[in-house]
Amino acid sequence: MSSNTPTSSSGGAGSADSSAARRNSKRPKYSRFTQQELPACKPILTPRWVISAFMLVSIVFIPIGVASLFASRDVVEIVDRYETECVPTRFRDDKVQYIQSAEDKSCNRTITVPKRMKRPIYVYYQLDNFYQNHRRYVKSRSDKQLRSNESADDVSTCDPEDRTPGQNPIVPCGLIAWSLFNDTYSFSRNNQSLAVNKKGISWKSDREHKFGKDVFPKNFQNGTLRGGASLNENVSLSEQEDLIVWMRTAALPTFRKLYGKIEVDLEANDVIDVALNNYYNTYSFDGKKKLVLSTTSWLGGKNDFMGIAYLTVGGLCFFLAMAFTIVYLIKPRYFSNYKDLTYLTVYDLNE
Amino acid sequence: MFRRILATKNSRQNGVVSTTIVRIRSEDIRFNGLVLSSDRASSAKKMSGWERLRPSTARLGRDSYSSMTERIPSSRTVRLGRVQPQAPGHRTIYCNDRDANLPVKFKGNSISTTKYSFFTFLPKGLFEQFRRVANLYFLTISILSTTPISPVSPITNVLPLSLVLIVSLVKEAFEDWKRFQNDMAINNNPVEVLHDQKWETIPWKKLQVGDVVRIKQDGFFPADLLFLASTNPDGVCYIETANLDGETNLKIRKALEKTWDYLTPEKASEFKGEVQCEQPNNSLYTFAGNLIIQKQTLPLTPNQVLLRGCSLRNTEYIVGAVLFSGHETKVMMNAMNVPSKRSTLERKLDKLILTLFGTLFVMCLIGAIGSGVFIDRKYFYLGLFEDVENQFNPDKPFVVAILTMFTLITLYSTIIPISLYVSIEMIKFIQSTQFINKDLHMYHVETNTPALARTSNLNEELGQVEYIFSDKTGTLTRNLMEFFKCSIGGEVYGTGVTEIERGVAQRRGIKIDEGQESTNVVHEKGFNFDDARLMRGAWRNEPNPDLCKEFFRCLAICHTVLPEGDESAERVTYQAASPDEAALVTAAKNFGFFFYRRTPTTIYVRESHLEKMGKVQDVSYEILNVLEFNSTRKRQSVVCRYPDGRLVLYCKGADTVIYERLAVGQDDIKKVSREHLEQFGSSGLRTLCLAYRDLSSDMYESWNEKFIQAKSSLRDREKKLDEVLIKMRMKWLKTDCGFMQVAELIEAELILIGCTAIEDKLQEGVPACIETLSRAGIKIWMLTGDKMETAINIAYACNLINNDMKQFIINSETDAIREVESRGDQVEIARFIKEEVKKELKKCLEEAQHFLHTVAAPKLALVIDGKCLMYALDPSLRVMLLNLSLNCCSVVCCRVSPLQKAQVTSMVKKGAKKITLSIGDGANDVSMIQAAHVGIGISGQEGMQAVMASDFAIAQFRFLTDLLLVHGRWSYLRLCKVITYFFYKNLTFTLTQFWFTFQTGFSGQRFYDDWFQSLYNVIFTALPVIMVGLFDKDVSASLSKKYPEIYREGIRNVFFKWRVVAIWAFFSVYQSLIFYFFVSDSSSNAQNSSGKMFGLWDVSTMAFTCVVVTVNLRLLLMCNSITRWHYISVGGSILAWFIFIFIYSGIMTPYDRQENVFFVIYVLMSTFYFYLTLALVPIVALLGDFIYQGVQRWFFPYDYQIVQEIHMHEPEGRTRTELLEIGNQLTPDEARSYAIAQLPRELSKHTGFAFDSPGYESFFAAQLGVFAPQKAWDVARRASMKSRPKIGQRK
Repeated sequence: MSSNTPTSSSGGAGSADSSAARRNSKRPKYSRFTQQELPACKPILTPRWVISAFMLVSIVFIPIGVASLFASRDVVEIVDRYETECVPTRFRDDKVQYIQSAEDKSCNRTITVPKRMKRPIYVYYQLDNFYQNHRRYVKSRSDKQLRSNESADDVSTCDPEDRTPGQNPIVPCGLIAWSLFNDTYSFSRNNQSLAVNKKGISWKSDREHKFGKDVFPKNFQNGTLRGGASLNENVSLSEQEDLIVWMRTAALPTFRKLYGKIEVDLEANDVIDVALNNYYNTYSFDGKKKLVLSTTSWLGGKNDFMGIAYLTVGGLCFFLAMAFTIVYLIKPRYFSNYKDLTYLTVYDLNE
Repeated sequence: MFRRILATKNSRQNGVVSTTIVRIRSEDIRFNGLVLSSDRASSAKKMSGWERLRPSTARLGRDSYSSMTERIPSSRTVRLGRVQPQAPGHRTIYCNDRDANLPVKFKGNSISTTKYSFFTFLPKGLFEQFRRVANLYFLTISILSTTPISPVSPITNVLPLSLVLIVSLVKEAFEDWKRFQNDMAINNNPVEVLHDQKWETIPWKKLQVGDVVRIKQDGFFPADLLFLASTNPDGVCYIETANLDGETNLKIRKALEKTWDYLTPEKASEFKGEVQCEQPNNSLYTFAGNLIIQKQTLPLTPNQVLLRGCSLRNTEYIVGAVLFSGHETKVMMNAMNVPSKRSTLERKLDKLILTLFGTLFVMCLIGAIGSGVFIDRKYFYLGLFEDVENQFNPDKPFVVAILTMFTLITLYSTIIPISLYVSIEMIKFIQSTQFINKDLHMYHVETNTPALARTSNLNEELGQVEYIFSDKTGTLTRNLMEFFKCSIGGEVYGTGVTEIERGVAQRRGIKIDEGQESTNVVHEKGFNFDDARLMRGAWRNEPNPDLCKEFFRCLAICHTVLPEGDESAERVTYQAASPDEAALVTAAKNFGFFFYRRTPTTIYVRESHLEKMGKVQDVSYEILNVLEFNSTRKRQSVVCRYPDGRLVLYCKGADTVIYERLAVGQDDIKKVSREHLEQFGSSGLRTLCLAYRDLSSDMYESWNEKFIQAKSSLRDREKKLDEVLIKMRMKWLKTDCGFMQVAELIEAELILIGCTAIEDKLQEGVPACIETLSRAGIKIWMLTGDKMETAINIAYACNLINNDMKQFIINSETDAIREVESRGDQVEIARFIKEEVKKELKKCLEEAQHFLHTVAAPKLALVIDGKCLMYALDPSLRVMLLNLSLNCCSVVCCRVSPLQKAQVTSMVKKGAKKITLSIGDGANDVSMIQAAHVGIGISGQEGMQAVMASDFAIAQFRFLTDLLLVHGRWSYLRLCKVITYFFYKNLTFTLTQFWFTFQTGFSGQRFYDDWFQSLYNVIFTALPVIMVGLFDKDVSASLSKKYPEIYREGIRNVFFKWRVVAIWAFFSVYQSLIFYFFVSDSSSNAQNSSGKMFGLWDVSTMAFTCVVVTVNLRLLLMCNSITRWHYISVGGSILAWFIFIFIYSGIMTPYDRQENVFFVIYVLMSTFYFYLTLALVPIVALLGDFIYQGVQRWFFPYDYQIVQEIHMHEPEGRTRTELLEIGNQLTPDEARSYAIAQLPRELSKHTGFAFDSPGYESFFAAQLGVFAPQKAWDVARRASMKSRPKIGQRK
């Protein structure tokens, strides 16, 4: 790279002109801008630069990749898929009917801890084929209503779950709130119950700014069709953290949401009994339900993606750097003069 | 003749005469195409200067009788604008009587050229904006986005659209404001009008029809005036029409004798005339009307009309009455709407936009089908109950698909880059106003003219020009003849070096030093000769002083020049029909043979140094006969009698004709002179051979008898002039022949004196420029109205043709054609010439194709003359001509009319689909300039018309190098980058959205927040690309000129081919996939130790951040030079995004919006995930481009990249000084002799004969007082020289 030093052959003379002589002259004034001589660096991707760039990327990326992969490996994650197992065998042919019936929905699952899990252990539920990002779904909420009690009537965007048949506004309105997930989990180890802390599972900004302390559920789930969980009408929305978590809609049709935290360590080979109530209807659209117990690292949950991506890119760059170096050593390339101009050899106008 | 047509039309006196004349008119028009003979036919009786300029202006005749002449190959001068149908009837103007004119309500004299007024600006301006498809599209999208089917809020589309509209409207307003100010300045010019017997000064705009005004010298006429009186005797005045047609020579107007007296205010106020004239029209050279004064009806002609825009010269003042005012003046009615040209690149851009529309449609279609398939009641959480709206009604999947289609169109509207057009416009505007107009390399000091881009539409077109059509006179040459060298008795005199020799020397690396011209060198107009052996009488010591004496006498005697002014050597000026002759006579003067006076029978020469140095004596030579120049004779002779009775015939002419007529013997001198002629010729000089013959008085007497006889038969013809002209034409040809035969008798047995070499002074740097341009792959055609010899000569001089080239010459001046012509049957002539042309073309084409298949084939050149060209341009032969000419490196078309120039241009433009550029300086080039893709006018010289019609105006031909190779190439490169980058960034952005659609059940949910999407184009990615459009520079200006070859990349359009677009598109897809899937897949887990999950808006903000960062960095990756403005704009754009998102997601606004993005950036930034992704995704995304660019440059480099690498390690400044020091040092003499020695000689047949004499065709006519205008454009150019009929000097 080199920096351009503008010449003064034309410019110097121009700027040195006395202004008197120039009064009638249409001679353009010299400036680096108009003469297009602004100092510039001229990056040229010569082989050397290409190879160095690749080397640099691989040197930076491979350690990051290794670090994140280790972080991800440290995380212990238990996934239990239960949507089929929790349907009694006799109902397995028509799960939708089962879930909509008044049958007992309780279900017991057993999970073995493969490795020691340090607290806090996060409990997630994971849904599949659930389009929380569908346009009709995403917009069916009223942020104003959620935020303050005065806007309780602001349900214009909540169609079709805006008002009760008696035209009373539903709080919280909209499809999102209406379809609130309502499976419940309780855990016990050796018949000793493990408390699930449901506080602090939502982002603080949501809790404090988006859901009002003075907003209480009203007319919720009073319709003919129940979409999901009901809410305690005596608890303000800002404390209904399940709702807050649910209403931060997911980006993809497969998503995890935080259910709660277990604030004790779990030892390897511990057997955890999960008593769950399988209320939520994912059967009509063939959605899966999973229960996830996971620890976290500095990087978050178990996710090899980042580490693998970094390692792959770093490795690829290293490989490319090597390959280019070999080519460069075997067949060095430099231009010296006119004869290299391609037009001399492959000039074809009809191209 | 024209006047007569008008007269007959006006007075309707004589129907018979009228029809006769009309028939002639139509014939005349048709023959005008047959260039040669028609001009003679169109001659009429002595015309005054004005009419002579425009021999074929009878639009009346043409319009009324166009049915008779279906195909008119007109060679007429170009008119401004288009013919407008005349309003029926006529108008009556009462001069000097405002009240009488009141009822008619003539238009006032104020003019307005603005496009908008205060009130119409908004509606009209908006209308103009929405005529653009892109804007209309976005308007539709904006309207769509207010409906519920839109996934985005209207702001997404309205905001960018309004920004674009505001920028465009502000620009329009600014331009219109400038026009308005200009109008105001014009309208407020003062003019003196007659009021109460006094001259009163009022502004132009207050002037009314019928007012009597006084215009002083050098003043402009404020309106079209009826010329009443002038301070000059004979009621004439001189006007300059530079504003109308660009000619600076003066024209004469003559008032009607009846009105001569109305000069003083007292007298003028008595003037009460009534003018009945035609309705306002745009024909500059016609006027029909009558002046009724004192119950007398006087016909008015253009001769009494002074047009607005012209200025008064050489006349103290004139008095006139206003005929047409304001917008009704002829010049305003001609207000030229220069056909707006769009560049090829932009037309290709349209195709790209169409492709994008296609892509958009396909994407929407896929989404729409998907949505129809997806929608189902089973997704109970979507609340699809019985009365769901149509958009999501599972019972009507088809309706869902259709509506989703519209939804998706609004969602994906970003694929069309809305700000592209306005960005391009801005870039081009700055490029043309700041870079082209202010380039010091294109500033011409002598004429104080910088380059001027009159349109900013075509900057990038300059980078793709493949064919240049150039005018000769004024463009390549200065139309300045200088006596440069001579050869006397086998000895070469003159030490100058011509441009072409200099060019040759430079190519061979010799430096010719010119610093040391001897101080006593005489250099005046027409004489640029330096050789001490001849000057100041030194010739007497030369080996052959007698021959020298004859040489000088021949120069001083054998010519038709008139001396003017003082009879002193310093102050005399020569009036010559051709600049060559003036140069020769000037040369004689400088050699000590000063021709100072001419009477019809005598030439007076002041001879010095004859016997003794410094001695002066006046000698008078009796001129007995003059046998003048003519294209077939190619020679001119004078028979003169010395005071001592010696009878000598001096003859000068083309080497071929002179050599034929030389007396036997003289072989040595013939051989040596021949060599000299060839040498001169290949140096681009125009040569003439001089010879003399001593006559015995007996012989002369007997010859003279025959001569007088032949002459008298010519006189007969004069009487027949008023008879039918067709007959006369034939007779003319015959008498011509007889006359020439007589001349033949005496021009024989000549003794060769030597030859002269005149330099047709080329514009500075022309050969070098042409050389550079042809290395750049540009083919240059010279289109000129000049004779073939002159044209070839100049072609040699400027390196278009050289002796290594195979030349094809297609000429109509062959014996066979001449013979058929002399028979006079027009149909037969046409048929015959066509056959000949066809035969020639076929032969040449075969030969050319033969060369195509041979190795080491010579370069080809084609020379064709106008008459042949007329037939070759016929549809049946056109393909052949095109094939032939495209195989030739250079083509010279001589004797072509302006129309043919345009035809040739459009043949290549349309037939070969190549990008063409025309360059010219005169009115005759206007049509060619307008026909080509890019028109260039030479400015800073006389005349503005070419400039007015052009797209760019430069002062010198050589500035083309800078204009094309530097500005054009850069503009092309920049624009290509800008367009492809716009394409890339919008496609990438939209595709991420598209991938998201697949995972939302094809519902058309937006991925990004409304504001992200609307600001993406106008803020976050807008500025850097403009920096590229302004500052990107692959190689420096000096390298661009040093390696013209890299220009070829533009000709081949390598930077904006579909392949390039496809590569960009490929990487767009790749990058968008990376953006979407890397970000979304890695986000499905908890992202920090708190275990909380991201929502949709976190992911999209992350993805958007990656897009903004990557897209901006991608720009840096494609830059060839990175200035600090790049850093500022790229850094600024990324920073702008972060600042925006910090503020935007940090606040809650009271008005209704979904708080989707509230706090997302803070949430994101609290995770490691954010930083890891931000480091990973852009690098992965750019990796593909990086590998591609590295491999491309490494293994398949472009030429410019090679040049970059050759000069990689030099700072830019040094290369320029290196350029100045090319070559090693030789002493001047060595260099000169080397340069001359290097010139090809043996092969040469070209001896450089050329004699530019526009009057030569008309010699006989002139002798008889008949003026035959030759070519309108030629005559126009030199009209000033012929303001006096030549007849005077003869009698």
